[in-house]
Amino acid sequence: MALTFHHKQLPNGLDIVAERNPDSHSVALGLFVKTGSRDESPNVNGVSHFLEHMMFKGSSKYTWEDVNRIFDEMGAKYNAFTSQELTAYYANVLPEFTEKAVEHLSHLLRPAIRVEDFTTEKKVILEEIAMYLDDPGHRLYERLMESHFGNHPLAMSILGSPESIRKLQRDEMAEYFQSRYGPGNMVFSATGDFAFEDIVKLAERYCGAWPHVDAPRHQPEPLYRPQRLSMTDAKLNRQYTMAMTPGPTAQDERRFAARVLADVIGDSEGSRFYWALVDNAIAEDADFGFYPHDGCGSFYAALTTAPERSAEALEIALAELKKVKDDVKDDEVDRAKNKMASSLVLQGEIPLGRMRSIGSQWIYNKEYRSLEQDMAALRAVNTAALRQLIDEFPFDPMTIVSLGPGPESKET
Amino acid sequence: MAERYFQHTFPNGLTLLGEEMPAMQSAAMTFLVPAGSATDPVDRCGSATVLSDLVLRGAGDRDSRQLTDYLDSLGLQRSSSVGVHHTRFGCAAVAGKVMESLAAYADIVRRAQLPESGFTAARDLTLQALAGIEDEPRQKLLIKLREWHLPSPYGRNSMGREEDLQKLTLDLCQVDYRRRYHADGAILAIAGKIDFPRLRDAIEKHFGDWDAGPPVEIQLMPPPGQVHHEDQKSEQTHIGIAFPSVPETDPDYYTVRMAVEVLSGGMSGRLFTEIREKRALCYSVWAGYSSLKGQGSILGYAGTSNERAQATLDCLVAEFHRLRKGVEPAELERAKIGLKAGTIMQGESTSARAGAIAHDYFMRGRIRPLEEIKAAIDGVTVEKVNAYLKNNEPGQFTLVTVGPKSLNVPSTYQ
Repeated sequence: MALTFHHKQLPNGLDIVAERNPDSHSVALGLFVKTGSRDESPNVNGVSHFLEHMMFKGSSKYTWEDVNRIFDEMGAKYNAFTSQELTAYYANVLPEFTEKAVEHLSHLLRPAIRVEDFTTEKKVILEEIAMYLDDPGHRLYERLMESHFGNHPLAMSILGSPESIRKLQRDEMAEYFQSRYGPGNMVFSATGDFAFEDIVKLAERYCGAWPHVDAPRHQPEPLYRPQRLSMTDAKLNRQYTMAMTPGPTAQDERRFAARVLADVIGDSEGSRFYWALVDNAIAEDADFGFYPHDGCGSFYAALTTAPERSAEALEIALAELKKVKDDVKDDEVDRAKNKMASSLVLQGEIPLGRMRSIGSQWIYNKEYRSLEQDMAALRAVNTAALRQLIDEFPFDPMTIVSLGPGPESKET
Repeated sequence: MAERYFQHTFPNGLTLLGEEMPAMQSAAMTFLVPAGSATDPVDRCGSATVLSDLVLRGAGDRDSRQLTDYLDSLGLQRSSSVGVHHTRFGCAAVAGKVMESLAAYADIVRRAQLPESGFTAARDLTLQALAGIEDEPRQKLLIKLREWHLPSPYGRNSMGREEDLQKLTLDLCQVDYRRRYHADGAILAIAGKIDFPRLRDAIEKHFGDWDAGPPVEIQLMPPPGQVHHEDQKSEQTHIGIAFPSVPETDPDYYTVRMAVEVLSGGMSGRLFTEIREKRALCYSVWAGYSSLKGQGSILGYAGTSNERAQATLDCLVAEFHRLRKGVEPAELERAKIGLKAGTIMQGESTSARAGAIAHDYFMRGRIRPLEEIKAAIDGVTVEKVNAYLKNNEPGQFTLVTVGPKSLNVPSTYQ
């Protein structure tokens, strides 16, 4: 497997990043836009995600029916997603549909936002919000982000609230689109077996006329403080607890060490949380992870327990966090690294996985990292690096949020 | 082109399957052991799930921690799950590491230590997962739909029943392990950078003298009824419908798959178009073909806010009924290219291929080359689909809802 990287910037500022894999059977194409809920003003909260839906509702040339039909005529695997800081649109197609897929994605990213479609889709968004209200993990996560980030824009909900969505006007969305969706604030990412100059030609032909947009992102310093909140919902059976604490940013070289540390502490099997909490069934789930963001970063813990054992489980989890710095060992670090190295190899074999990886890497860092570079950075992590990381990010201050039926929990 | 699919059944009944993918660095294993939820003893539902956890808590000379540490040191991406027919163990990594892990997997399925402390924890975790279903109405709906649609024991929740799990003991688990973890009917499939003759020798060494074991009989009983509502104070009402269809081995299988693709194959599918795009009744709506040995089913799902649930159900049922009027040539073309592209893209993932060849062998007794699958898809015509739909009306649905209020059964229901 020999992956080769290519990059070119079009005159309008659109970055094209591509990785050629001669062994692949398909081509993966994506447009990544550096915009998400953190770039919204509170009065239009949810507009990034709602706009992502509206992209599938047609351009000046196509209706929503055309958009869906044309993707399906190619047998494409296609979708889009919105996070706090990134919105991405992608299609995975057989090589013979490469041009058609680029053309179609280019129409997708120039939406008409027709009022009647906007009004209809608003109801779908409200259903999506309702669906997530039936998911305790999601409710807790939203509350955690809101509390942990406070006045920082990462506190903004991705979906928005039913109120903000109901109030949102078509023209407010169009204005948001104009200000965020232009070359300069997006990257075109492609992987598969192709000649790079062909991809560049297609991007020029279909995206070359897009006007350049400069879309600065507000990067205030987050003000973290220790907090503990609980929410009660009598109909729930289980207690859900999440905690969040500062970690390295998406740009920080220490992010590789942060990932290893997160796996040592809280991978789903064989980690410290596993042995302290899941092996003995104190918790059904006990995860520890790392969320790198643009300009800041977080570690998080997530526990699912019986309501009467949640306090005990949290205490054990916090004790594990306290202990790890003093007794982290070479062999557990090696195991975590080996698991991560395997997942890099497996991801490298699938064009869709690599396309997403190089596209989002470019959005965050304007850099390409080969699998070998990522592998080398991973191999370089050792116990000393983890100890130093914990010195610099000592899991403090921490926001702890809990959701369950009580009785000990109460709304604060 | 050199042969890339291999199959070998050992005298004890274990079948080894291989797909050589020389361009890959990785290999993936799917190991199916004949301990599915359908063969749980009738008063011990959930036994296979408890065992699937317990067998990983020490095997051969390694205790629980040594075993986990060893598998992790190989860098394996691991998974295990319990289905209707099998308990499935999966792993993927750089090919050499997967080969190296085979001896440990032999320990797991042949020489598990089954410790007392591990039993208590494994059962407790299963009970916790069972309790968690109450907090996730969407998951609960799909469990209840299977329970009310499929004959028992196929429809049973693999997590079991609380009263059965409470009665389970370590002794019963040990007996059950000997009864169901055996070679006859087990399938071990590996896809990726492998050399089949070497793989076969390794499997012979580790599993060649594994006991064949006794056959396990299943007696099918009809489901409890056809219409069921679970009262739940949820934000949305979750709606599931199901009806029986042809098994995968039936000559009409791809004809049926195409009809389901027309309903729900992509965003231009009828359910998405009519229920979400035109009427905005829900965010999530889909239909799918679900396969068991000797029996296929078609399932449909929609989740919607409570006041719009009746309209959504009526629409969902109407779309299933509209199928009898046939499909358009353009719809069928989209369905075919979608399925074919999906099949080709599967060839980029060793995990997907290991799973696919294991499934193929279990259903059909052989691996189908990708070319054969593509040809079968190409062989479906509009005439075939429409003749099938005309002569095989959906019939009586099973209807299950989870939400604050039951719904009226649509008048077109029967």
